[in-house]
Amino acid sequence: MKLSKTISALILSFVLLVGGLTQANAKRLTAAVADWTGGEITCQVAVSMLEEELGYKVKRVVFPSGTGLWEAIAAGEIDFACESWPSYAEADTVMMKGPLVYDGKTMFNYEGDGSVELLGTTGIIGLSDYYIPRYAAESLGIKTWKDLNKHKAKFATIETGGKGRLIGCPVAGWNCHDQKRLDLLGIDFQADELGTEAAAIAEAVAAYERKEPFLLYLWEPHWFFGAYDMVGVQLPAHKTCDSFTEANNWKDCGTAAWPATGWAKDYTFNYGNPATFAKPEHAKAAAFFKKMKFDNADQAVMLVEVKQKNRDLKEVVKEWKDANPGKWKNWIPK
Amino acid sequence: MSSEQTVVINKSNSTKSILTYSLILLVFIIALFLSNQSEGPSKLPKVVTDEFTFTAWVNDGEDYLKKNYRWVTKIIAGYIKSGYYFLEDFLIDSPWLLIASIIFLPCLIAGGLRLGLYSLFVIYFWGAVGMWDESLQTVALMGLSVLLCVFFGVILGVLCSQSDRFDGFMKPILDTMQVMPAFVYLFPALFFFGIGGAPAILATMIYAMPPVIRLTNSGIRQVSKDTIESATSFGSSKLQLLFKIKIPLSLPSIMMGINQVIMMALALVVLACFIGAEGIGGQVWLAIRNLDVGWAMEGGLCILFMAIMFDRFSMSLTKQKDTLPSDVQEFYLLPQSWEKFQVARFIEKPLLYLHFVVNLVCTNITNFIAIVFRNIFLFFNKDFAEDLRDFLSKRYYIIPSFIVFLIISLIDSYLISIGTFPEEWKLSIRQPIADGVKSLTVNPGFIAFAKGLRAFVYLNLLRPLDTFLTHIPWWYTMSVFVAIGYFTVGLRFAVITALLLLFIGACGIWPQSMITLSSVLVSVVLCFAIGVPLGIIASYNQRFKEVLNVVLDAMQTLPYFCYLIPVLMFFGGGIVSAVLATVIYAIPPIIRLTALGLTQVSGTYSEVSRSFGGTLFQTLKKIKFPLAVPSLVIGFNQTVVMAFAMQIVTPLIGGKGLGLEVFNGLARSDTGRGLAAGIGIVLLAIIIDRITLAWTKKQRQALGLDAN
Repeated sequence: MKLSKTISALILSFVLLVGGLTQANAKRLTAAVADWTGGEITCQVAVSMLEEELGYKVKRVVFPSGTGLWEAIAAGEIDFACESWPSYAEADTVMMKGPLVYDGKTMFNYEGDGSVELLGTTGIIGLSDYYIPRYAAESLGIKTWKDLNKHKAKFATIETGGKGRLIGCPVAGWNCHDQKRLDLLGIDFQADELGTEAAAIAEAVAAYERKEPFLLYLWEPHWFFGAYDMVGVQLPAHKTCDSFTEANNWKDCGTAAWPATGWAKDYTFNYGNPATFAKPEHAKAAAFFKKMKFDNADQAVMLVEVKQKNRDLKEVVKEWKDANPGKWKNWIPK
Repeated sequence: MSSEQTVVINKSNSTKSILTYSLILLVFIIALFLSNQSEGPSKLPKVVTDEFTFTAWVNDGEDYLKKNYRWVTKIIAGYIKSGYYFLEDFLIDSPWLLIASIIFLPCLIAGGLRLGLYSLFVIYFWGAVGMWDESLQTVALMGLSVLLCVFFGVILGVLCSQSDRFDGFMKPILDTMQVMPAFVYLFPALFFFGIGGAPAILATMIYAMPPVIRLTNSGIRQVSKDTIESATSFGSSKLQLLFKIKIPLSLPSIMMGINQVIMMALALVVLACFIGAEGIGGQVWLAIRNLDVGWAMEGGLCILFMAIMFDRFSMSLTKQKDTLPSDVQEFYLLPQSWEKFQVARFIEKPLLYLHFVVNLVCTNITNFIAIVFRNIFLFFNKDFAEDLRDFLSKRYYIIPSFIVFLIISLIDSYLISIGTFPEEWKLSIRQPIADGVKSLTVNPGFIAFAKGLRAFVYLNLLRPLDTFLTHIPWWYTMSVFVAIGYFTVGLRFAVITALLLLFIGACGIWPQSMITLSSVLVSVVLCFAIGVPLGIIASYNQRFKEVLNVVLDAMQTLPYFCYLIPVLMFFGGGIVSAVLATVIYAIPPIIRLTALGLTQVSGTYSEVSRSFGGTLFQTLKKIKFPLAVPSLVIGFNQTVVMAFAMQIVTPLIGGKGLGLEVFNGLARSDTGRGLAAGIGIVLLAIIIDRITLAWTKKQRQALGLDAN
């Protein structure tokens, strides 16, 4: 009696297990929804195309970006994720193989192990810089980064002492090398790493509300620019420095090149599990990702709708989609 | 103890304490001198850290496991996942009224009308703030983890109680499970067990299982010898003794363990959003990313209310209902002590009748069903039918509940589709909370206060201690720790301490661990400075204590993500905010145990002191405090452990030290680096925990409070 019960329980769970596995093979995909608003919009655009135009059923999982996400994709737990920023993802050089193509031009060649596939660029081009609020720039007369040292006392906090403070790149893994840049350019500021974007932005919001001067690392497109009036400090234009790697013990090229310059343009891309998109039933989805070309201006408008007007993200994307069929019709494979 | 003896002991104590204090002073001065001598942060020699490549070993081991054993973990994950999805689908797809009654009726039955109404409020709140699905996902995740925790926890607890050797073996493992930051195993778990429910449940089990193991173990061990003896003399075998006597008798203790498991599981379920588990945690995290304090608070309150509901429910299962004298009207809603008021009695009257009617209906329905079943089964087996009737007719609350569930399901599928929580009942508290935080952010007075506090904490506490601890040569700090370990615990512990600290040093994370130590120490000092006075007030004023208890409950169950953003907006990102967030998280035990310790000191002592003309403060200082020391130290001990646990979260708002090291390791997919830093936190916490515990024991013995 007992034995037969155990056996039937085992069989039942086996059936459930197999059932669970086969279910995933239908026209279903699991997407990691980015956890920053810009990425969320790009993701929703992609997902709504897959669902409404290509007949997919997409399961959305909120998943903080970072290595965990890359691992989850490599393991096949998540099929794809949207809007990765090449200069920030350290995992990309290790896990991706193949060219990064934007507008038909190869921008970069990845030579990793190929456990994650580059599905195609999103069309969003990111750019990072240091910014100060306009009120501070005007009242202090700061035009470029060269003027920062004169007013460093205004930017100082209790922790930085005599130096000014930069609310820097929040995560070390993003490889911004803020302190190195400040030192090379001779800006007498201290870069503080706050751990999360939310922390950095929260502090900036609080300082802006109090009309205090602050120097903030940020990227475009970002909802912050829609809500608060910020100006860039115009860091020198980007130039790569080949010796500046961990293997070379971070040997820099002086003030001539990275990291003493601004960032390169980030041709953001979507990425996914290679096995999933090699399957014939997902060929259309793969073709869609190759063709997708969203753009900064559209995302910026939608960021304002979502963040400033507190509107539902899905609704905003739907509205854009209905109003601009010309923009996305040619992304859809026949 | 005679008075002569006391004097002698006091005398020897005072010479001894002078010696101790001067020794401590000497050690401190040498440390100060050494730390001023060194130029940079102290580290172990490079040769050692280069040879000891713990990180690489862990990563190799992980790779090996990934390559060869992933299929095993996938199968385990598959089972858990199917169970979880089954539960989740059931909860979310069912009509909301059914779910509401599944939660409401047990609360009503077990906890009476008050808990029933409270559970209705909680259910309404979930739906009203628009987190119906998320709340149920959290309930599913928590329910399954609690179930598994209790199942395995009780088995392990019973094993621990039967074998001292196994108990000794489990103790350090349990400590590690509780203090090891969940982040360390959360991400590797992802690769082995996939994303979502399964790894989240396993991670929750690691974190939340220790209390049920511990309490089962101690509960069984505490069963009185007489009971066991009499049972043995009646000839029960060892197994009979265990299952018929020991486990039933230790049920209250086990239930307390379950209660703790529920609370701890809820705490971790929030973190689970980092590995793609859905639920309120994901909502709170999204809210944080959007800097929406109001939204985060809504999510936090959903969890808080849920926690209180489950807590009260599991407590009411163990609590014995006290019987009232027959001439007293029983109260269902208002406090029983209001029975003396005419109005209260008048309000309660209809409830009394209602209770009577419901009771009558339920018993009649149940009896009717029981008789029907008996008559059906009478054809097959007479004894069985009678037993069944007996069994059924005793369940006169459960069976009507099931009938209610059935009716709702039938209505939903055949008459009107009930669907999910009605849209028009929604209510949002986001805006007022967000406005409140915003107005404080720009309030000049408050910001001046915040800036002053930040400057004070940083300049007077954090910076000096940071430089002091990081600059003392590592061998000196290590020997101080070993010496303290030797004098408080013993030789064996001293040797272990030395080895553990050497491990931290050899992993190359000595400076980071000193930063963590200093953040923890500053947080604990602040907890003490704020917590002890609050505890004292609470011990004198009952009303204040009641209010405080509610606040402390909230602080302990509200996910810490909720208050990170406001702390940041007021105090700016960085180590000061990190310390303040730690204080908020770790202060409850010290307040509670101070109040407890002071109220426990029996009234006679303080009365004697009063009658000799001691003032309030003298009584406190001379009598109450010394006697409350053991309780205070336990509070201190718990605060320290919680402060260490918080170190893993503070990097999210600019904290430094080992926590940041864990984050950086994970950001680079370097499990070894994350693990080394995580182990560093665990080891520091364990060393300090053991030293304080040993010290408490000595104190208790000195005060004659402990027989052994």
